[in-house]
Amino acid sequence: MLTTIKTVGSCLRRTLGVRSLQTASTLQHEAVFNHRDTPEDNPDIPFDFTPENKKRADAILAIYPEGHKRAAMIPLLDLAQRQHGWLPISAMHKVAEILNLPRMRVYEVATFYTMFMRKPTGKYHIQVCTTTPCWLRGSDEILDTIKCNLKLEVGETSSDGMFTLSEVECLGACVNAPMIQVNDDYYEDLTAKDTEEILNDLKNNKKPKPGPRNGRFAAEPIGEPTCLAGEPPGPGFGVRSDL
Amino acid sequence: MAKFLGIDKVLSVLNIVKENGGLRASLYKMFRMDELKVGTLVGTDKYGNKYYENKRFFYGRNRWIEYAPYYHLDYDGSQVPAEWFGWLHYKTDLPPDQEPFRPKYKWMLDHTENLSGTPGQYMPYSTTRPKIEPWIPTKRC
Amino acid sequence: MLRTTLLKALTGSKLGPKHITVLSRAASDVAKKPEKIEVFIDDQPVLVEPGTTVLQAAALVGVEIPRFCYHERLAVAGNCRMCLVEVEKSPKPVAACAMPVMKGWRIKTNSEMTKKAREGVMEFLLVNHPLDCPICDQGGECDLQDQSMAFGSDRSRFTDIDFSGKRAVEDKDIGPLIKTIMTRCIHCTRCIRFASEIAGVDDLGTTGRGSGMEIGTYVQKFFLSELSGNVIDLCPVGALTSKPYSFTARPWEIRKIDSIDVLDAVGSNIVVSTRTGEVMRIMPRTNEEINEEWLSDKARFAYDGLKRQRLVTPMLKATNGELKPVDWETALLSVAKVMKNAGSSIGAIAGGLADAEALVALKDLLNRLGSENLCTEHTFPMDGSATDLRSSYLLNNKIMGAEEADFALLIGTNPRFEAPLLNSRLRKAYVHKELDVALIGPKVNLTYGYNHLGDDPEVISKIASGSHPIAQKLKSAKKPLIILGADLLQRPDGAAILSQVQKIASLASPAEGWKVFNILHKVASQVAALDVGYTPGVDKIRENNPKVIFLLGADECAIDRSDLPEGCFVVYQGHHGDHGATIADAVLPGAAYTEKQATYVNTEGRAQQTLPAVSPPGNAREDWKIIRALSEILGAPLPYDSLEDIRCRLHQVAPHLTRYGDAESANYFKQAQELAKNIQSDKISGSPIDVKIKELKDFYMTDAISRASPTMAKCVQAVLKQEQSKY
Repeated sequence: MLTTIKTVGSCLRRTLGVRSLQTASTLQHEAVFNHRDTPEDNPDIPFDFTPENKKRADAILAIYPEGHKRAAMIPLLDLAQRQHGWLPISAMHKVAEILNLPRMRVYEVATFYTMFMRKPTGKYHIQVCTTTPCWLRGSDEILDTIKCNLKLEVGETSSDGMFTLSEVECLGACVNAPMIQVNDDYYEDLTAKDTEEILNDLKNNKKPKPGPRNGRFAAEPIGEPTCLAGEPPGPGFGVRSDL
Repeated sequence: MAKFLGIDKVLSVLNIVKENGGLRASLYKMFRMDELKVGTLVGTDKYGNKYYENKRFFYGRNRWIEYAPYYHLDYDGSQVPAEWFGWLHYKTDLPPDQEPFRPKYKWMLDHTENLSGTPGQYMPYSTTRPKIEPWIPTKRC
Repeated sequence: MLRTTLLKALTGSKLGPKHITVLSRAASDVAKKPEKIEVFIDDQPVLVEPGTTVLQAAALVGVEIPRFCYHERLAVAGNCRMCLVEVEKSPKPVAACAMPVMKGWRIKTNSEMTKKAREGVMEFLLVNHPLDCPICDQGGECDLQDQSMAFGSDRSRFTDIDFSGKRAVEDKDIGPLIKTIMTRCIHCTRCIRFASEIAGVDDLGTTGRGSGMEIGTYVQKFFLSELSGNVIDLCPVGALTSKPYSFTARPWEIRKIDSIDVLDAVGSNIVVSTRTGEVMRIMPRTNEEINEEWLSDKARFAYDGLKRQRLVTPMLKATNGELKPVDWETALLSVAKVMKNAGSSIGAIAGGLADAEALVALKDLLNRLGSENLCTEHTFPMDGSATDLRSSYLLNNKIMGAEEADFALLIGTNPRFEAPLLNSRLRKAYVHKELDVALIGPKVNLTYGYNHLGDDPEVISKIASGSHPIAQKLKSAKKPLIILGADLLQRPDGAAILSQVQKIASLASPAEGWKVFNILHKVASQVAALDVGYTPGVDKIRENNPKVIFLLGADECAIDRSDLPEGCFVVYQGHHGDHGATIADAVLPGAAYTEKQATYVNTEGRAQQTLPAVSPPGNAREDWKIIRALSEILGAPLPYDSLEDIRCRLHQVAPHLTRYGDAESANYFKQAQELAKNIQSDKISGSPIDVKIKELKDFYMTDAISRASPTMAKCVQAVLKQEQSKY
């Protein structure tokens, strides 16, 4: 609602050339760095690691020497997020308890890293890369396709709790642009059609095959290599003959 | 001859004293008002102040008020009611009882003198917080 | 903050005696003195220890480098970048606060590159800092204001034509003492470091990242600590300001008077800011030997108690049993009449806020009338050496000494709330010097780890007999510290406990000049009262049944109407209508500590004086003057008419009382220990050791002033509210 008013306000301002609505600058990101108790996220909701995750947690803790156990904070938070689907405040409290640290120190880490989802997230978290290489290769089209297909805006979660759509910065797969990440898997070299397929598979709870979609195995050139094709020249190549 | 010797001055002084009610009364008036004048009584207001006029004096000094005796020395200009103020200050030559145009409404308030410096003065209540809140002993002990 | 460091830097060339001791002490910790290295600050050569940072080296030659995040007493963060300076041959400017100097470095603190770097940093800080100085409480004492004037660019590039707005951050509610305007925050993280390093309450932190980063608690939680007010002083901008002081005064219109805090026995140095005859706020004054530059919240915020519940006029009990205001003449005449009739059957009780002048005057007066019944409210055992030897009732090792200790045994005390600034020293030693702490008493949160030996008094005897493992630890420690709480000595078996603790102290074999035995008092007047010869405890009054009893600010209910004989006339002299005034037959209004020039002796035995910041309210008068006036009417005039005269008398009674600022060391430890042996040690009862102030909510309201303070009441409410919270 507020965003709508602000958008209308800024449109008016532009057309009329008047400052109509004075606001502080809007946040460029959707994250809020303060906790608010909600029905799905409050300290009364108990959180505990499952028995197998407890073993994992112990294994993680065993990596770090005594006195440096707090280094296990990020892996433990990640473990909690994988168990719960996202990272509720109770999970942060649990991690603080395991590491015997003040809770604030855990909040600091959990809010710093954008991959810790501090609000309810869908079963499939779709992250669309829109950084320059992907954008040049048509990530806007991919994003629009997902938006239309799932009827979601960026940052929203579908009402059935299946999908969350995020727009992210470079995920390091520029050579396979455009790409999306769904949970831990990369789907690369996408077209709008590929994207539809992936989404439909996910909707039917089938796991689409991760990786490039245009027939490539990985990041190799399409078809024949275009450079470095011949035998590498030996030593002394191109050196002056009198040397 | 009498004029030459200045006896007429003495006579007029005696006359003034006489007009003012004898030596005692004149001395009291001198003490109270710092001057002794004779004039025709033009009128008296409802507070008992008497208004005199004597055209022999020059303009500005020829109308004066003798405050009601109960004021003693505590008289001041604000005790002149509004209707007499005009006559006393030459805004009009007609005393209020002879002035036909003077409006009279029943809502008009009685004249009050300036109460500044007296217990009856207006004092706005303080809106500032006291700097110190004193301890008020409880009744039980 | 900047000002103090600037001052220090300027006086750095001619270091005061205190500084020399500090430096030499720090240096003595290093086993072998490494060679000094030479660096050049603006071409001025200076020899520094290896490991000195550029900023410290510059301060040695009096060059002030601007900073926001750096603070001498906190860890180096290096995140504000304001202290960037050029180092010759370095391609980039260097953060002076975090960079240790290397041999032969030529540091340029005024070069083009340095200036440009500062201007750039300042510009970035100001881009998101609101321009609300006219309505900001920090205005006039703001580091950002001062430094943007001194080091910022003289023109702005901030032309926000589209008005996209500055960054805005939501304000946090962190309690009734600290007001937050988080948009003003420049993320120096001083408050976070203070909370976690010194206060030991890890409630503050940074959340988020980038331009969205915020300082706060993330969840709705109060920042509750007994030292929380110090973050207001630390904050270089107006992000954290004092809530009670908000919008009340400007720094350039207040008068500042150096004084002493008397709400605990530490005697913290304070600056009282006043305007229009009102105390506006209280801030700490640096004293390395006592409070460093911190101040406890009670000392800082209880000042609004000085404006409430005050006694402003003498009062006498009318026939109907009600206290009625009277004038001084009537009051003094009637009090004198009753005292004369009573003859020598007069008693006096001194409360916790009484100053040495009044104590001496009252003692002289009663002695002239033939009475020796002068007591203090707080007990101290009268067996053994009792109060005859000064060493047995002082914090002999001094507050500063706590930093050097390697083992501390706390018995029946909770220093965190009884003496927050002593506790911060202990915490410092615990964090930085590996001090071991053991505690006998109830389990409390001291903000640092300790070995809890239980609350059974039996443990004391066990340690004294050497059968407890702690005894071994004590013997092996080079600098052991035993701190005995004054609370414990209130017990009926206090004397036995004291003798056992003396015995424990004799077990230790400390380094030369190190004193083991320490008493921590809770009230400011106690040491002075014992010094001038008051009897601790009110038992004497109970036994003697005096006809007249004179309460000098005694408000702790040590004595009640039921303890006194029928028809006993109670005179209360003090500044607050508290417990004492309610039982009084005559009330004489005295002055509070901000209203008089008076001597107080802290728990170390250090005499310090308060200075009058405001005048006593209404008809209240300085305490010793009231007693002097009373003596005149009684026909036993005291031989002093001026402050100088009574100070001479103080000097006569005990010379250290007028040596302001010095803590005279006590001696005769051996003798005290010998005398303590005579006390029967098997008298220790089995009841567990307890302390009165266990939790934060008990800390705020402990005396007549803080009990009258609305701010302190709000703090208690906040603690109770926090207890309900889930965070």
